[in-house]
Amino acid sequence: MDFKHDILPLKNIIFRIALRIVLNREEAEDIVQDTLVKLWERRGELEQVDNLEAFALTMARHLALDRKEKMDNRNVSLDEKTHDRPSEGNTNSDQQLMRQETCHFIGHIINSLSEKQRTILQLRDIEGKSYKEIAEVLSISESDVKVTLFRARNEVKEKILQQKSLFL
Amino acid sequence: MDYKYIEQLIEGYFSCTTTLQEEQILRSFFSQEDVPGHLAQYADLFNYETEAKAETLGEDFDERMMAQIDATELKPMNAKAHIVKMTTRHIAPFFKAAAVVAMALTIGRAAEHAIGEQATEENNHVVAVDPYIKSSDVHQAIHVKDVSQAEMKATNDSIINLTREDEIQ
Repeated sequence: MDFKHDILPLKNIIFRIALRIVLNREEAEDIVQDTLVKLWERRGELEQVDNLEAFALTMARHLALDRKEKMDNRNVSLDEKTHDRPSEGNTNSDQQLMRQETCHFIGHIINSLSEKQRTILQLRDIEGKSYKEIAEVLSISESDVKVTLFRARNEVKEKILQQKSLFL
Repeated sequence: MDYKYIEQLIEGYFSCTTTLQEEQILRSFFSQEDVPGHLAQYADLFNYETEAKAETLGEDFDERMMAQIDATELKPMNAKAHIVKMTTRHIAPFFKAAAVVAMALTIGRAAEHAIGEQATEENNHVVAVDPYIKSSDVHQAIHVKDVSQAEMKATNDSIINLTREDEIQ
């Protein structure tokens, strides 16, 4: 088990999942560090783990949920920190700018879902994971994954259509 | 152009019956510039899905992470205790073998010394008790003494050989 070779490459997927849960970049980054250190400390056990990525994501999710609970208890205003930092300097065309705006809007819709819904949507539609893998990460059944994903996708659809009808 | 296939996929997407591959086809379809009007409302969603995967940590993350890992490695007990334990386990058989050799040598030397003294005494005794003994008999007595010493030496050698075999094993 080599840290740079086996564990470090998981950083970005862990980051995206953590970010989707805590909705705060700095907190998400801390969660990535905590997860990777924990994995490294338990490297002896990892030989027996058949899906290291799922194992890492389960660990990261638990750490993220703990953090989120603490953040909520501290009454940190999530809305203030939810927005991704506006990217600087590389908005060359109006089209690109528009795209970022709309992505922002979809991101908002997804982030307004329940934690379980948005984590599952993230794993399926952004990370491209199978129902089986998602079930493993969340320690729930595959049918539970499907039902939750169904509700999540349709809630997003409804909100998009609502938004569109406002502009028309 | 007929968009029936894409329309079907979109319907499947919202009823969660599409495969991962079909969902990837949808994302690829919407990433093109000109999407027909009636499907455009979904473009934002599928493009968001594509772009959200590009979300990554900053470039300085690795450096900080490695520093933290190196710091964990240097924590007092963990790493060192581990190494010592391994070393002990590897070397222990050699210590054991060395101890056996040392013991065999000590016993061998002691035995040789004791028997040697005894033999000399016996020899003297023979000579003293019977001053009239024939020279051939004296030679015989001396010969007996030599044999016993030779035997003793052979035994010692075989003990050492056995121990060596142990060591090799």
